[in-house]
Amino acid sequence: MRNLRYLLYIAILIVLLTLPIYTGVYLLNVMDMILIYLALALSWDMLVRSGQISFGMAGLFGVGGYAAALLHLNAGVNPIFSIVLGGLAAGVLAWLIGMAVLQLRGMYFAIVTLALAEIFRLIVRNLPDLTGGPEGTVLPSSIFAGNSTKTYWLVLTVAAVSVMASEIFRRTRIHFALTSIRNDEIVAKSSGIDVFKYLVFIFVITSAIQGIAGGAYAHIYGFVSPEGSFSVDFTLLPIAMALLGGMHSTWGPVVGALLLGVASEFLKLKIPYGHLLVYGLIIVITILFFPQGIVGTIGQKLKKTHTA
Amino acid sequence: MAILKTENLTRLFGGLAAVNHVNMEFRENEILGIIGPNGAGKTTFINVIAGIYLPTEGKIFFNGQDISELQAHKRCRLGIGRTFQLVRPLQGLSLHENVMVGSLFGKGLSQREARKKAEELCEFLGLSDITRDITRMTALEIKKMEIAHALATQPKLLFLDEVMAGLNSDETMEMIDLVRKIHSQGVTIGIVEHVMRVIRELTDRVVVLDWGEVIAEGPYAEVSNDPRVITAYLGEEA
Repeated sequence: MRNLRYLLYIAILIVLLTLPIYTGVYLLNVMDMILIYLALALSWDMLVRSGQISFGMAGLFGVGGYAAALLHLNAGVNPIFSIVLGGLAAGVLAWLIGMAVLQLRGMYFAIVTLALAEIFRLIVRNLPDLTGGPEGTVLPSSIFAGNSTKTYWLVLTVAAVSVMASEIFRRTRIHFALTSIRNDEIVAKSSGIDVFKYLVFIFVITSAIQGIAGGAYAHIYGFVSPEGSFSVDFTLLPIAMALLGGMHSTWGPVVGALLLGVASEFLKLKIPYGHLLVYGLIIVITILFFPQGIVGTIGQKLKKTHTA
Repeated sequence: MAILKTENLTRLFGGLAAVNHVNMEFRENEILGIIGPNGAGKTTFINVIAGIYLPTEGKIFFNGQDISELQAHKRCRLGIGRTFQLVRPLQGLSLHENVMVGSLFGKGLSQREARKKAEELCEFLGLSDITRDITRMTALEIKKMEIAHALATQPKLLFLDEVMAGLNSDETMEMIDLVRKIHSQGVTIGIVEHVMRVIRELTDRVVVLDWGEVIAEGPYAEVSNDPRVITAYLGEEA
């Protein structure tokens, strides 16, 4: 059973890696977008496992994007390395903010992250000398000179790193710490868990992933702008994806990102701008009828038939 | 030797003193009963000792070390364990995993070691059928799981906060035996309980709290005849 599962993973990995051989540029571009959202959905879910809900993904995504783009443009940093530094910048920022904001819980934390994302956008917008102000900054060229195969491999790497990070979180003591904190902080503390340290740690890691995704996005499209890089889409879509697929797991957000990503691409063609309405509907239906998401619901069904 | 000592320990909530100038001593390897009417401050006392609340005034010494300002998770690692009056199983974790949390973080064991420890503890407490869904366990099983969780941190001093509540008389007998078993392993125990039979059978000494203050202290037989204690429980004679 276990070997079979590993074989399946390897098969999926081979299909994903060799995708450029049998598909065209259009599908690769769609995949790029889906994989970036997949990384964001996973990073959101990883924080949710501690019970803290962030609405600030767009903020850290934008910060990572701007950091990567500006480091490349002004300091001549290699694009790939600048993406890593974008993640680092988001991580360091999250650490500084987290030390203060992670005293808050639940709704209060969520609202503050939402406000912070907006504050980052406004700061970037009002520093024209550094960031290009409201118009943003255009890079001399897209990464890999726009080569769609290499670009795809880059975002595939970003997504793979997120999946690996999520699995590490699932399989190590971090899983026990986060689940305890989500259930009951007093019990967690009384079991020897340094609650604040774990919350800061997970906030930094997930923010770094968001920063890396933002850096990749900036280099793929070759420009950054306050409205584009900090778009609320980067907060709302990943949440919808994680909810649809199922929270507190790796495969939930992955499945959600693939389904909703493909659906959104299709809907954009059929009903331009109407796709947001469909997202809303999907979220409502998911929460009402299968709050554990697709993966969670199927998992439960399997468990039941297994024990029956 | 006192394993835990409080000096003038006070915890205010607004103007209300839930714990009021308490001087208490836990002697090494004794079973100390903490009793008192509802709202006397028993659970708050445990919460202040465990570090969930910081004291407003006064000091706490554990093995001679001043822990008054120490964070809760550090007190756990030093060896202060506790169960909760309202049981709090961790949803999303199995029975064994619930217990593992204690030794993973309280003792810094690896997952493999923690799992082994959890299996031992569950066996020690007579918890079987380990794959069972924790949402379907009986009251006794959940209480045992809580105790196993606390024991997994390998406490030197263990607080049991009303572990007998909600148990029938057979189950209470079983629990009394378990507390004795735990005690015989060298754990000092502080037990908060409303069931007087439990206090009578288990404790070496009893401290009575009322309105956050210690109103009596001594062996159960003495304390239970103390007029102040009787008044606290039954009220003033009209």
